[in-house]
Amino acid sequence: MQNTTLILLLAGMAAAAFYLGRSRSLALVGGVSNSAMLHSLPGYYGYFTAVWCLLPALAVMLVWVLAEPRVVIALVVDGLAESQKNLSAGELNLLVNNIRNLAAGDAVSGSVDASLQAAADRYNALVGVSRWMLAGLVLGIATLGALSAWRRIRPDLRARNRVERVIEYLLIAASSIAILTTIGIVLSVLFEALRFFQKVPFTEFLFGLNWSPQTAIRADQVGSSGSFGAVPLFAGTLLITVIAMCVAVPVGLMTAIYLAEYSSNRVRAIAKPLLEILAGIPTVVYGFFAALTVAPWVRRTGEALGIEVASESALAAGLVMGIMIIPLVSSLSDDAIHAVPSSMRDGALGLGSTRSETMTRVILPAALPGIVGGILLAVSRAIGETMIVVMAAGLAANLTANPFEAVTTVTVQIVTLLVGDQEFDSAKTLAAFALGLVLFVMTLCLNVVGLSVVRKYREQYE
Amino acid sequence: MSSADDPSAHSATRRKVEAGLARRRLRERLFKGFGLAATAVGILFLCVFVYTLVAQGASAFRQTELQLDVHFDRDVLAPDGELDLEYADFDAIPRDALRAMFPDVTSRGDRRELNRLISIAAGFQIRDMLVDDPSLLGETRTVRVPAAANVDMLVKGHIDRALDEALRPVSDRQVQWIEALQANGRIEQHFNTALFTNGDSREPELAGIRGALMGSLYMLLVTVVLAFPIGVAAAIYLEEFAPRSRWSDLIEVNINNLAAVPSIVFGLLGLAVFINWMALPRSAPLVGGLVLSLLTLPVIIIASRAAIQSVPPSIREAALGLGASRMQVVFHHVLPLALPGMLTGTIIGMSRALGESAPLLMIGMVAFIVDVPGGFTDPATALPVQIYLWADSPERAFAERTSAAILVLLGFLLVMNLAAVIIRKRMERKW
Amino acid sequence: MAQRNTARLALASAAVAVALAGHAAAQSARDYIYIVGSSTVYPFATVVAERFGRSTDFRTPKVESTGSGGGLKLFCDGVGVDYPDIANSSRAIKQSEVETCRSNGVDEIVEVKIGYDGIVVASSISSPPANFSRRDIFLALAKQVPGALEGSLVENPYRTWRDVNPALPATRIEVLGPPPTSGTRDAFVELAMEGGCAEIPWIAALEKSDRDRFRAICHTVREDGAFVEAGENDNLIVQKLEANPEAFGIFGFSFLDQNTEKVRGAAVDGVEPTFDAIADGDYPISRPLYFYAKKAHVDVIPGLRNYLREFTSERAWGEEGYLSERGLIPMPDDERRAVAKDVRELNPLTAAR
Repeated sequence: MQNTTLILLLAGMAAAAFYLGRSRSLALVGGVSNSAMLHSLPGYYGYFTAVWCLLPALAVMLVWVLAEPRVVIALVVDGLAESQKNLSAGELNLLVNNIRNLAAGDAVSGSVDASLQAAADRYNALVGVSRWMLAGLVLGIATLGALSAWRRIRPDLRARNRVERVIEYLLIAASSIAILTTIGIVLSVLFEALRFFQKVPFTEFLFGLNWSPQTAIRADQVGSSGSFGAVPLFAGTLLITVIAMCVAVPVGLMTAIYLAEYSSNRVRAIAKPLLEILAGIPTVVYGFFAALTVAPWVRRTGEALGIEVASESALAAGLVMGIMIIPLVSSLSDDAIHAVPSSMRDGALGLGSTRSETMTRVILPAALPGIVGGILLAVSRAIGETMIVVMAAGLAANLTANPFEAVTTVTVQIVTLLVGDQEFDSAKTLAAFALGLVLFVMTLCLNVVGLSVVRKYREQYE
Repeated sequence: MSSADDPSAHSATRRKVEAGLARRRLRERLFKGFGLAATAVGILFLCVFVYTLVAQGASAFRQTELQLDVHFDRDVLAPDGELDLEYADFDAIPRDALRAMFPDVTSRGDRRELNRLISIAAGFQIRDMLVDDPSLLGETRTVRVPAAANVDMLVKGHIDRALDEALRPVSDRQVQWIEALQANGRIEQHFNTALFTNGDSREPELAGIRGALMGSLYMLLVTVVLAFPIGVAAAIYLEEFAPRSRWSDLIEVNINNLAAVPSIVFGLLGLAVFINWMALPRSAPLVGGLVLSLLTLPVIIIASRAAIQSVPPSIREAALGLGASRMQVVFHHVLPLALPGMLTGTIIGMSRALGESAPLLMIGMVAFIVDVPGGFTDPATALPVQIYLWADSPERAFAERTSAAILVLLGFLLVMNLAAVIIRKRMERKW
Repeated sequence: MAQRNTARLALASAAVAVALAGHAAAQSARDYIYIVGSSTVYPFATVVAERFGRSTDFRTPKVESTGSGGGLKLFCDGVGVDYPDIANSSRAIKQSEVETCRSNGVDEIVEVKIGYDGIVVASSISSPPANFSRRDIFLALAKQVPGALEGSLVENPYRTWRDVNPALPATRIEVLGPPPTSGTRDAFVELAMEGGCAEIPWIAALEKSDRDRFRAICHTVREDGAFVEAGENDNLIVQKLEANPEAFGIFGFSFLDQNTEKVRGAAVDGVEPTFDAIADGDYPISRPLYFYAKKAHVDVIPGLRNYLREFTSERAWGEEGYLSERGLIPMPDDERRAVAKDVRELNPLTAAR
C-alpha cells in the first residue's frame, strides 16, 4: 500500500474518531441539552479521541519508514550465498545496489544471473510484505488508540486539558524548528569545515595570503598547488563592503533625516514607499544591473578621467550594493531618530537652534547607538550579499585596496566552488564550507551586537 | 539675567547672534539640500533602473516572424512513403519555402546564410502542425514562423546596420534579404507568446519563462505549506505561552539572528542536509521549497509576533474573565484578530522567497532545463535563477529577454506586495 | 474552534503528505536522461538535447556543465538512476578514470567521438590582432620559466607580453582560463604549454630522461594572478573579455564562432583559428571531443538509445548538420560512419587503449 493512501486512510479514521468521541460524550450525559454536565465541551472529547487515533499511529509509521530499508537489506544479504556474504564491504555494497536496481527495474552493472534475480525477487517480496505489515500495524494502532480513548471518555474526563496539552507540545515543536535550523546550519557548516581543516591547517586558511583553490583532481594531472589562504577574499569582501557603506550610510542617513524632519507629508507619502520598492528588488536584478549597466559605465568614466579601471571593479559592485542597502540604513535610522523623545527636540528648537543644529547636536548624538546598531546590521547584510558580487565582481583573488581593481569575495568563492560540483572529498569543495563558516560567524557576531545595541537603545527611551 | 538688564551687553549678544545668523541659515539650507539630494539619489536610481529595464526589455514581448508559403512536400518528409515523426527532415520545409522566394541564391554558402534567417523553431512548428493534422502532407499553407534571433535583433534595431560587416552577426547579404522581405510585407512582429509558454532554450527566440515560473510556483507552494503553519504556531507559543526563561530568550535572539543570516548560508545547509544527508534529488523544487521555508520562517515568525502583540490585552482579559482557557483565548479571539497581520507577513516572506536565488545555486537549480516541471521532484529552476542564467548568456537577444523576465518578476513582486498592503488596509483593525 | 482546528489539522496533514510524497517520489525511477561534463561540449549537448526533447515523445535530457574531470568523476561513481548516463568530455577518458569506473561497477562504457574543437586564445574585438607562438604562451603562463643559465628555473618574472617576446605589445599579461576540472585546461596544457615548452632544448631533453619533472615544468600554470581561473562558464569569460580589452581568454572554438562580433581569436604559430584551419589540422591547438555513455543504462533510461542515435545522425554532426552551425568541426565521413556504427552496436571501450 502506498504511504500516501495510508495517510489519507488515517485522516479518515481520525475524522471518524472525532465523531465517535463527540457523540459518546453526549450520549453519556443524555444529549446536547445536558452537555453542561460534561467537564469539557463535547468537541474536545472528539479531539481527544482523534488525537489518540492519529499521533501514535503516525509515530509508528515514521519509525517504520525510516527503518524499513535497512532491515530489508539485512534480510536480503542474510539470504545470499556464503561466498557473496564474505565479500568486502565495498563489493557487498555494489552487489546490494545491483539487487535494488534490478528490483526497481533499473540499470544493472554486469550480467544478471539467477542468484541476483532471486535476491531481487526476494527484495521485492520483502518490501511488499513490509508495506502490508506497516499498513496493518498502523491501522491497528490507530484503531486501538481511538478505542482506548473512546472507552476512557467519561463526563469528568478532563478532555480539554489533555487536548490543549497536545496542542501546546505542537506549538513548542514548531518554535524549536528555528533553533533546529540554527543547529543544522552550525553542524552542517562546522562538520564539513572541520574536514577541511584536517587537510589544510587552520592558520594557513585564516592568515594565508594566497588563494588558488583549484587543485588537481586526478593523480596524473598537474593542477595548481592549491593554496587556501583566504586573506585576499576577506580583504576583497571588506573593500566592497566599505565602498557600499560609503554610499549607503550618508545617503541612507540623510534620507532618513530629510524625511523625518523636513519633508512635507505628501513628499514622505510618496518617497517612503518608493524607497521601500528599492528594498524589495531581488538581488539578482541588482546584479544584472551592476554587471551590464554600472560596470561598463564606471569603466568608461574611469577611462575618460585617465584612470585604469578593471572591467569588474570593486567600485561597480560596491556602488550597486550600497544602493541596495540605502533603504535598510534609512529605515533603521528613521526608527532611531523617532525613538528620541520629542521633548529633547522641542527643547533644542525652543532655545533657538536651527533644525539642522537640533539634528546634529541633539538628536543624532542621542540616536547614535541606534544608528550604529543599524549600520552594523547593514554591514552584515553587505558581507553576506551574494548575487551582486557573483555577477559583477571578479574571480581573481587580488590582495589590493584599490577600488578600481577587480577583487573577489567570500560569497563569490563559495558559489564558484560549489556550483556544479558534487564531490565532497576534495579540499576544494570543503573549502566552500570553511568559507561559509567564516561568513556565518562574522555575520552572527555583527547581528548579535547590532541587534542588542538597537534593542538596548530602544529600551533606553521607553 | 544680568545681561538682559545691561543694554550694551544685550546688544553685544544680539550682534554676535546676528553675525552668525547668515552662516547658520546657510548651513541650514545646505543641510536640507543634502537631505533632499540623498532622498533624490535613491528615487533617481529607481527611475533609471526601471527606465533601463523597460527600454531594454519592452521589445522582448514582440517577436519577429516570417510569413512563408510552405509546401508540406511528400518527397522531403516521407521519402519512403511513410512519415517518420522522429527523423523526418522538418527543417527543410520552411527552408525550401524561403529559398523559393530567392531563386537567385544558388551557391552552398549563400544557401546556408539564407537558411540562418529562419529559427530552428520553424521545423518544430511544422512537425507540430503535422502531428495535429496528418492530412496536411502534400498541401501548401501560408504560415508564420519565428525568425532567427539575429534577424529579430536587426529588425528591432538592436543591431546597427551601419556597422562594419565583420562587427555584426548579420552579413550584408542577409541584411539585403531581410530588407527585401520587409518590403514584401513578409516580416511582421507579433506578441511573443513563446516567452510565456516555453521552457528554457539555447535559442533566444524559443526561450521562455514558463518552466522557471512553474518551478518558482512549486517552491512557493512547499514554502507556504510548511512555513505558514509552523511560523504562526511558533509565534503563538513565543507570545502567549512561553515562560520567560533563558530558553525562550535564546529562541528569541536566535530567530532575530536567523532573519539576518546571509541567504547563501541557508543554501549550504540545504546542500549538506537535504541533498547530501537525506539524499533528496538535486534541482528539485521540493528541496528549494524546504530551503526557502527555513529562510522565510523567521520573517513570518517576527511578523506574526508583531500581529499578536498588537491585539490589545483587554480582549484576552475579557475572554479569560468569562472562563475561557488560555488555549481558547488564543484560538478563538487572538488568532482571528491577528490573522490579517500574519497573512501580510507571510506574503512579504513569500515575496522575499520568490526573489531569492543565491541558496538555489547551491542546490543544483542552475542546470539547463527545457521541460516545464510537472511536479515537486522534477528538475526545475526558478525565475530569479533563470534571470541569472540568461544574464550570463552572451547572445544579444538574451539580454533583451533577461530584462523582460525581470519585468515579469518585478510584476509578481508588486502584485504580492500590493496584496499585502490591501489586506493590511482592509482587514487590520486599529485599537 | 471546531473549524479552525480542523483547518489546522488539514494543513498539518497536508504538510506531512507533501513530505512523504516527496520522499516516495525521490526513490522512484528517473524518466529523463542525465548528462554531465565538459563546458566545451555543453553547447553541443544542449542543442542536441533540446532537439531531441522537442522532436520525440521523450523528456528533454538534463544537462549540467561540471567540467570534463568533474563529469567523469560523477559518471564513474556508479550504475543506477542516481548517477549520470552520459559524461561529456573535451578529452579522451584517462586510464585512471576507466579504473575508477570499473571499481564502482561501471564496466561497459561506450565512447562516442563527436568531432573536433580548437582551443583559442581570444581577446576583445576592440583589441588589436595578436599572434603568439606556443613558446610565448608557455613563457607567459608557466609557473617557472628557464632562467639565465641552462637548466635553471626561476619563478615567472614576466609582467607584460613584451617581456616575453619583444615583438608583442607592452600590455599586462592577464589570461582567463579554465580550472583543472576542465578538459579544455588539460588539452590546453598538453597542446599549447607543452608544445611551447618542448621548444626549449634542455627541457625537451628532460622528456626522455625525467618525465615527471618535464611534466611538472610544462604543465604547471602560474598562480600569481596573471592567470585567472574563471570557472566552468565560458560565456562568462566572453563577457569579461568584452569588458576588458587587455585580457585574453582561453576557450573552445565554438564559443569564438558564436561570438565573432565580440571577441577575436589570436593566431597561434601564425595560424588564425578558423573552421578550415582546425578541420585541416593546421591550427596547432585542436583536440577531439567525446562523450561517454553507460551501456548498462541503455534501454533502462527511457530515450537513451534514441539520444545516441540523434547525436550521431548526419543532420546533427554531419558536414551541414546543426552542430557544425554551432562551431563543432565534423570528423571526416568515414570516421563518422565508423563511430556511428560502434554506437549503434554499443561497442564498449576496450581495456587496452
